[in-house]
Amino acid sequence: MKTAHAIYEDGDHKWLAMVRDSSRPDFLIDTNEYLVISDGDALLLDPGGSEIFPAVFSAVSTGFDPRRIHKIFASHQDPDVISSLSMWLEFNPGIKCYLSWLWQSFVPHFAGQADTFVPIPDNGMDIVVGARRLQAIPAHYLHSSGNFHLYDPKAKILFSGDVGAALLPPAEDGLFVEDFDRHIRHAESFHRRWMGSDKAKRDWCARVSALDIDMLCPQHGAIYRGADVARFIDWFSRLDVGVLKG
Amino acid sequence: MASPHSSAEAGRELRRIVRINEEIKSVVSTAFKINLMAMNAIFLAKRAGQSALGFGVLSNELRRFAGDLQQQMAGLRDATYGSVATVTALLNQSRISRLLERTRIEAQGEGKALIQALASRRGETTLADNDQQMAALNRRLSHLIADTAQLVELGSVLARSAKIEAAYGGGFSTSLMQVSSDFERTIGEIQRSFENLTKNQPEDVVA
Ligand SMILES: [Fe+2]
Ligand SMILES: [Fe+2]
Repeated sequence: MKTAHAIYEDGDHKWLAMVRDSSRPDFLIDTNEYLVISDGDALLLDPGGSEIFPAVFSAVSTGFDPRRIHKIFASHQDPDVISSLSMWLEFNPGIKCYLSWLWQSFVPHFAGQADTFVPIPDNGMDIVVGARRLQAIPAHYLHSSGNFHLYDPKAKILFSGDVGAALLPPAEDGLFVEDFDRHIRHAESFHRRWMGSDKAKRDWCARVSALDIDMLCPQHGAIYRGADVARFIDWFSRLDVGVLKG
Repeated sequence: MASPHSSAEAGRELRRIVRINEEIKSVVSTAFKINLMAMNAIFLAKRAGQSALGFGVLSNELRRFAGDLQQQMAGLRDATYGSVATVTALLNQSRISRLLERTRIEAQGEGKALIQALASRRGETTLADNDQQMAALNRRLSHLIADTAQLVELGSVLARSAKIEAAYGGGFSTSLMQVSSDFERTIGEIQRSFENLTKNQPEDVVA
């Protein structure tokens, strides 16, 4: 069972985080799902693998009417990101999935018809949710070759997919990063191994440094807040990525 | 089993179809062998001339039988291919059903009601459709197997008659006898394959 936490709330503009599935078997990687709500409309970010659909759906529906989820954003093509699309489409066949054009003919192997997908061009695009206009921010090769993060300028939240991910031991799996130095040890080998391009990493760091970010929300692990956001970007910019060991 | 609703049942169904398919493959290669054997028999009968007229007629019949059998087997292969596609869809459906069931148990309030409604809609439409599709495919498979088994029966009668005719083959009698025994043995192999095929039928539609 996952729980939904409101991490941002301003009138009818909300961010819910669905985290820490206690009933998830160990062989599945733990994931965070986020729901951006505005004006009764909602966008689900990286809805997760099909095996965790029961947990995500249940957690979402405690905080929001799931029939109002009309859009899904998939940062990239991985099974832990988007294989539950089959279940969401079963529930609502009209759902649109925003996804890099690169994966447009791959992800339908999980589910969906041609008109299910809204391809995101390489330089990104705006995605409207209710009264809010969110931005798909290019994050190619981090780790996927067609990869996007999602920025909400009003809430000042950046959903960062696998960037910022940490594989946390049970004792340190809080919703937010509390002790950056302690936390980042659980992120280091993941980023070294999964992030493939140093150039892409530098581009991304430059791009997001220009954004005003209060919260950086990864798909795995804990959320970075306040000064930890800049700390993370700085740490990442200096990390040696694309290495097999070490 | 009419239609698999659980993935265990669908998996069993898939393995059953694979067994049928393997059997079909072996019959197809045997049917090809019979075709060659029949051609040889026709040449032999021609050389034997007047003394092997009856044998010649039967060889022609056996060759036609081999062609018919190959055609029947192609039909069976199509039918099993269709079944694999349907069973694959069923496997997907049963996975969705299993996940919906888990969601129904886990969800509360409105979410539970929504999933319950979805599950019962699916039960009435999707699953009922699957039942029908699977039953239709199984019926088609059974009929094809029964028809082909009958054809093989005819082949076996032809082979026995060829053996009798071989006895009148004069100087060629020994070689004709050899050829017709080969026919009999090979068709016997095919008959055993069909016994296996019939065993792999779903019980409720065995012809
Ligand atoms: Fe990934
Ligand atoms: Fe991931």
